[in-house]
Amino acid sequence: MTAVRRWQIGLVVLGLALLVVGGITLLNDVNPKRYIGIATWFLGALIVHDGIISFVVFGANIVMRKTGGRLRIPLPAILIVQGALVIAAIMTLIVVPAALKKSIGTANPTLLPLDYGLHLLVFYGVLAVVTALALGGYALLRQRRHVTAG
Amino acid sequence: MPSRNPRMAVVIGRLLGLAFLVCFGTGIYSHFLQDPLPWMTFPTRPVGLYQVSQGIHITAGILCFPLLFAKLYIVFPELFQTPPVKSFTHLLERASIALFVASSIVQIVIGLLNTYQWYALFPFPFRQTHYALSFVIIGSLAIHIAVKLDLITKYWRKQTTPTELVDMPVSTSSTDEVADPTIASAPGTLTSSPARNAVIRAEGVTGKLFDWIDATPPAEPRTSRRGFLTIVSIASAAVVALTAGQSFKLFDGVNVFGARKQGIGPNGLPVNRTAAAAKIEDVAMDPDWVLTVANGSSSVAFSRAQLLALPQHTVELPISCVEGWSQMATWKGVRLGDLVDAVGARGGTAIKAVSLEQNSSYAIMHMGPEYVRDDLTLVALELNGDTLDLDHGYPARMIAPGRPGVLQTKWLSSLEVLS
Repeated sequence: MTAVRRWQIGLVVLGLALLVVGGITLLNDVNPKRYIGIATWFLGALIVHDGIISFVVFGANIVMRKTGGRLRIPLPAILIVQGALVIAAIMTLIVVPAALKKSIGTANPTLLPLDYGLHLLVFYGVLAVVTALALGGYALLRQRRHVTAG
Repeated sequence: MPSRNPRMAVVIGRLLGLAFLVCFGTGIYSHFLQDPLPWMTFPTRPVGLYQVSQGIHITAGILCFPLLFAKLYIVFPELFQTPPVKSFTHLLERASIALFVASSIVQIVIGLLNTYQWYALFPFPFRQTHYALSFVIIGSLAIHIAVKLDLITKYWRKQTTPTELVDMPVSTSSTDEVADPTIASAPGTLTSSPARNAVIRAEGVTGKLFDWIDATPPAEPRTSRRGFLTIVSIASAAVVALTAGQSFKLFDGVNVFGARKQGIGPNGLPVNRTAAAAKIEDVAMDPDWVLTVANGSSSVAFSRAQLLALPQHTVELPISCVEGWSQMATWKGVRLGDLVDAVGARGGTAIKAVSLEQNSSYAIMHMGPEYVRDDLTLVALELNGDTLDLDHGYPARMIAPGRPGVLQTKWLSSLEVLS
């Protein structure tokens, strides 16, 4: 038996043992009436991620490459814009729930004390400026390279 | 070259795996601090131990968002394997991946929402579910690593040479940046070596679209891969830097998205459970309030004035919430050791503290001797130079080094020495 094979067996045994611990913990600590709620969240996670988010990302990717291809935009420029959009999207996913919860109301004023909506807008603004600068920097670099090459 | 390749899956995967393990370790520590097994004792130094461990727990959890999205993006074509199920083993493998992905997403999302105290969204108890899921995730991770171990070892280092361990066709070319289409066409699987040329592929329409994306515009060498890593790095740095200020003072200046802000709250300190929420305003403000300290049949009742007349000590200890936020504060009050001595307790002793608060799982708190006999453990009467605010536990609260905020019992009613 190879070392890799031994590691694989060990990891599978460890993994199964931990799954059993997780299952027993769930059975002991969580009222069975709540299992349907947990199952709903699991299913929801798969639907929202695999069914919606990944296809939106996939579709946006295609649209951007298509536009980029038609306008003969070089790949690094497309990646800079895509990167900015991805960063904005991830921050949105994390911050919007905070803004929503704050607008619904919190248990006390020290919880979610900041203006998350405003801060998010400022973040988008800063990101847009940085993206523009990066695009400008890349254009300059490209131009210089062309001049040198020519 | 597209960023969806096994080398990238390994690079991002090990970072994500590490983040999961950090969350698991710090989470287990937090769990046992709150629900210790009978034989457990805990370190009381450094005083900010829990502040750091739980701050890392929450910060690493937030970091998992960009890392998990990146990892799932890299392996996205795997979703479209054809045929969807090849064998019973394959079904098991795909089911285990579905469980792994679903539990990981649910875990980090409910963790984040819990820091916003948005409990209404959970049709299940947060703490118990989060705890149980942590074992499911680490168990799934171990199995996932086992299943992918050949690939992981092959792509662990940059530009590895194909080894005997890999049971797949091996290309001898190592310079072409574009994978050989005849080898690259295995659906839903990885193309062969060399490492940098392998791509995670899908079949059918999705596969064709991916091929088109990868070729539009024509790829410049390594641009796509480096671009991807840069994006993941910036996203990770941004989510960490802009939220970590709730746990780490270093980042306070750029804390624009944290669920808490240092310095905001009564006595300049955030509050988790207010006096109003605990429904103790009347009993806590009662001028006849006393703190009863008991040891077997011997019992002494201290009014707040009597407590203030005892030797007072000032300590610098953080309040560190299980939700990850924390802040250093200056506490003044009576040493817990002095109070248990006053009722004749000898040597190392555990206590039970009871709050005025009813109907809370933290209304009764047990404390092991390592905390009771620590010189820094106080029954605090003042906070940051002022009388303890009602929301911070007036007339008296517990403060001990290295414990979660929920165990720093507020609105104390009685202390009982346990034999």
